[in-house]
Amino acid sequence: MTTRELVVPPRPGNRIRNSLIIAAFVAFTVATCIPAIGGIELDVASIARNWRNGADKMLQLMQPNFEFLPRTWAPMLETLQMALVGAVGAAIVSIPLTLWAARPTNPNSFTRHVVRTIVNINRAVPDLVFATVLVAMVGVGALPGVITLFLFNIGIIVKLVSEAIDSADHGYMEAGRAAGGTQLKINRVTALPQSLPLFANQWLYSLELNVRISAILGIVGAGGIGRLLDERRAFYAYADVSIIILEILVVVILIEILSNLLRRRLV
Amino acid sequence: MEAGTTASTSWPVELRDVSVTYPNGTKALQNVSLRVEPGEMVSIVGLSGSGKSTLIRTINGLVQATSGEVSVGPYAMVGLKGRRLREARGHIGMIFQGFNLAERTDVFHNVLVGRFAHSSAFRTLLGLPSKTDRELALRALDSVGMLEKVWSRANALSGGQKQRVAIARALTQEPSVMLADEPVASLDPPTAHGVMSDLRRINREQGLTVLVNIHLMDLARQYTTRMIGLRDGRLVYDGPAAAATDADFEQIYGRPIQARDKLESQA
Repeated sequence: MTTRELVVPPRPGNRIRNSLIIAAFVAFTVATCIPAIGGIELDVASIARNWRNGADKMLQLMQPNFEFLPRTWAPMLETLQMALVGAVGAAIVSIPLTLWAARPTNPNSFTRHVVRTIVNINRAVPDLVFATVLVAMVGVGALPGVITLFLFNIGIIVKLVSEAIDSADHGYMEAGRAAGGTQLKINRVTALPQSLPLFANQWLYSLELNVRISAILGIVGAGGIGRLLDERRAFYAYADVSIIILEILVVVILIEILSNLLRRRLV
Repeated sequence: MEAGTTASTSWPVELRDVSVTYPNGTKALQNVSLRVEPGEMVSIVGLSGSGKSTLIRTINGLVQATSGEVSVGPYAMVGLKGRRLREARGHIGMIFQGFNLAERTDVFHNVLVGRFAHSSAFRTLLGLPSKTDRELALRALDSVGMLEKVWSRANALSGGQKQRVAIARALTQEPSVMLADEPVASLDPPTAHGVMSDLRRINREQGLTVLVNIHLMDLARQYTTRMIGLRDGRLVYDGPAAAATDADFEQIYGRPIQARDKLESQA
C-alpha cells in the first residue's frame, strides 16, 4: 500500500454559530443572577456569616442515633406499603389510559386528545400540592399519600409509554385491520404484549420514585416515615433525623438494585 | 389438509373504473378496471410506485377508492364502514412484504389474529379462543409446516418462517380471496420460491382466488396464470403470465429489462 495524501472534505463551518449560541447562554445565565435587572439575589456572603448555625446541626447529623431505629420500622413499612399500593394501582389503570393516549392504538383523535389533556393537567400539579389538598380532603394518614402517588405515577407512565408507542413501528396493526379486527381486539392481542416491556420499565421506575417521594409526603401529613421525620425535626432531634435519612437512603438504594435486577429479566 | 378443503367458497374480485388520489395529491391509480374470476391466480406486476400496493389495498378497503366501484364476492367495498367492513375483511386474507407479525407474541396468538372478524370481543379480551378458532389456527399452522413452532415467539423465527406464519394467519380466516403484497421481496431466492409454491398450492388445492403483487418477472411467469401490468397507476397489460414476452415487461416497466427484475440473477 502506498501512503497517498488523503483528500478530506472541508468540515462544515459551524464554529461561529456554535460560539454565538454558547455566548448567548452564558449571558442569559449571568443576567438571571443580577438583581438590578430582575434577576435572583444570590447573597454568597451570607454563607460566611451563617455557616456556624448550620455547623452545629451538621455535627448532630453526623452522629445518628441508632437507638431510635426500632421506632422507625413501623412508619418505614407504611411508606413501603404506600409506595407499592400506589404503584400497583397506577400500573393497572395506566394500561387502558396509555393505549387511549397513543396514536397507533387509538386512531380517534378526539378521545386521544381528551385523555392526553387530562393527563397533562394531572402532570402539571406538583405532588406536594396533591398531598396537601388530599390531606385536607380525606384527613391525615396513608390514604392521601397513596392517592397522591397513584395520580403522580399515572402522569409519568401514560406520558412516557404512550410516546414510546407513538414512535415504535406497528406493522402488525395493518394485519389486524386487514383481518377485520376492531381496534380493541388488535390492542388486546398484539399491541399490549408488544408494549409490555415499555410498561414494565415505567412501572418499576414509578415504584422507585414512590419510595423516595413518600418519604417527603409525610411532611404535609400524608403518612409514612416522612411524618416521623417531620416530628423529630420539630423537636430539633437531629440525631434521630439523621438515622431516618440514612434509612431512607439505604431503602431507596435497595429498591433500585431490586428493580434493576427485575428489569434485566423482563426485557 | 381437511381443514383447508372445508374452507368457504372462492369469490370473484371486480374493479370498475377505480381511481385513488391520496390527500397529498398523488394519483396512485387512474381508471383501473379488471375482473378476476373465482380460483384464478393473478400477479400484479410493476415497478415500485406503480400503484400495485394501492390496488391490492383497495380490494380489502385498507385504502378507500376515491372513485369507481370495487366488489369482492357479495360485498361492494367502496364506502363500506364499521361492522360490515370488518365482516368483509374477515373473508379476505392478506399477507405482507414485512410479514406484519407481532414480534414479541407467540406464533399461536399471531395466527389467532386471523379469527378477529369471526370471534366475540368477550373471548378475545379474556384471551380464551373458542375450540373452533384454536383448531383452525393449529390446522393452518400444520398446513404450512409450522406447527412445531406454535409456542415460539415470532421474533425467534427466520424470514421465511415468519412469512409462512403470516400465510397461516390468513388461512385461519378461511378466506374466499387471498391478497399478497410483495410477499417475497424481503426473502432470499430459495425461500422466495418456497413461499410462492405455498401460495400456488393453496390456489390449486382449495381453488382460492389469489392476487399477488410482485416486481420480479420470472416469478410472475412461473407461478401465476394471469398477469396484470401497472405503470404510473394505469393498467397497461392484462393477459396470460406464461406467454408474456420480454417486450411486454419492458412496456410495463417503461424501460429496458435489468438484472434486478429477475430473481434468478440475484441467486
